[in-house]
Amino acid sequence: MPSSNLSDDDRLNRSVPPYQHNPSAWSQRIPICLLAFVAAAISAHLSLFQWGFIESAWDPVFGDSSNKVLKSKTAESMFNLLGIHDASLGVLAYLGDAVLGLAGSTRRWQYRPWLVVLFGIDVIPLGIISVILVLCQAFVVGQWCFLCLVTAAISLILVYWAWDEVRVSLAYLRIVWKEHHDRRLLWDAFWGIRSEPLDRAAEQLLSREVA
Amino acid sequence: MWGRVVEIMTAVWLAASPFIFFAHSNTSLMWADLSIALLICVLSGLSYWHPTRHAHLLILLVSLGLIVWGRFAVTPPTPMHQNHIVVGLFLLMIALIPNDASQPPKAWQTPPTT
Repeated sequence: MPSSNLSDDDRLNRSVPPYQHNPSAWSQRIPICLLAFVAAAISAHLSLFQWGFIESAWDPVFGDSSNKVLKSKTAESMFNLLGIHDASLGVLAYLGDAVLGLAGSTRRWQYRPWLVVLFGIDVIPLGIISVILVLCQAFVVGQWCFLCLVTAAISLILVYWAWDEVRVSLAYLRIVWKEHHDRRLLWDAFWGIRSEPLDRAAEQLLSREVA
Repeated sequence: MWGRVVEIMTAVWLAASPFIFFAHSNTSLMWADLSIALLICVLSGLSYWHPTRHAHLLILLVSLGLIVWGRFAVTPPTPMHQNHIVVGLFLLMIALIPNDASQPPKAWQTPPTT
């Protein structure tokens, strides 16, 4: 059905091939935001320990090992570099995931690709950094921190959940580039400045067959 | 406009910070924080008025200033300056959020002709 015949809600919530769902739908984004808020709360607990507001970080598995990780020389050198503790940077990064996940309509993959790309830039490197921090625990500090492992696992889940939307937005931008080879139009598509060729590019993506 | 509401709430936190961190005896630091908080509130408030709807983007500059000030004013940063870094980084994300973030941009609110 041509998109001009659809109601506003149907137009905003159309499934985007190769998926059978709309990756920008609230049902897709709200779980990401909730999980990011949980990770931010866990990181806030770890920050409180690094700031010295609580005596010990909660760890039902490795016991005092968590405290050693959070007060390790690696953590201290990160503080000297960043000026804030690594756990508080984690709080900000997870809040960033939640904030950027909440912003935008249910068709932001087309209307605001810059927001989706920024969301991807926040979520995907955060997953990679989490893996690096886990490797640091294993090979540099030689101790384990249970809550750090939980937040690392959450980061990887967030990457998995966020990937479909980032992929769809990049696919849309790729169609714009492939069809027109016009940098100005690609720039407009990235910032969500509307024109007829961009409507056609989105329609081309939406009319692809679902795998 | 939830982005603007969060900015104003963060500005209130920044204004209260000298008292929370017991730094109000340092009057220059206290007045600097109060002035920056007021500036953030003004820029957020201006974003509600259509001719100055993009004023919130200027908060990005304020955020960068807060981060640089917090990081390099004293080494290692005191709790007060760590607060500046954290507030700066947080505002850097929030200031990017468009005004009516949950709605499609105005240009896209009509159906396509194709």
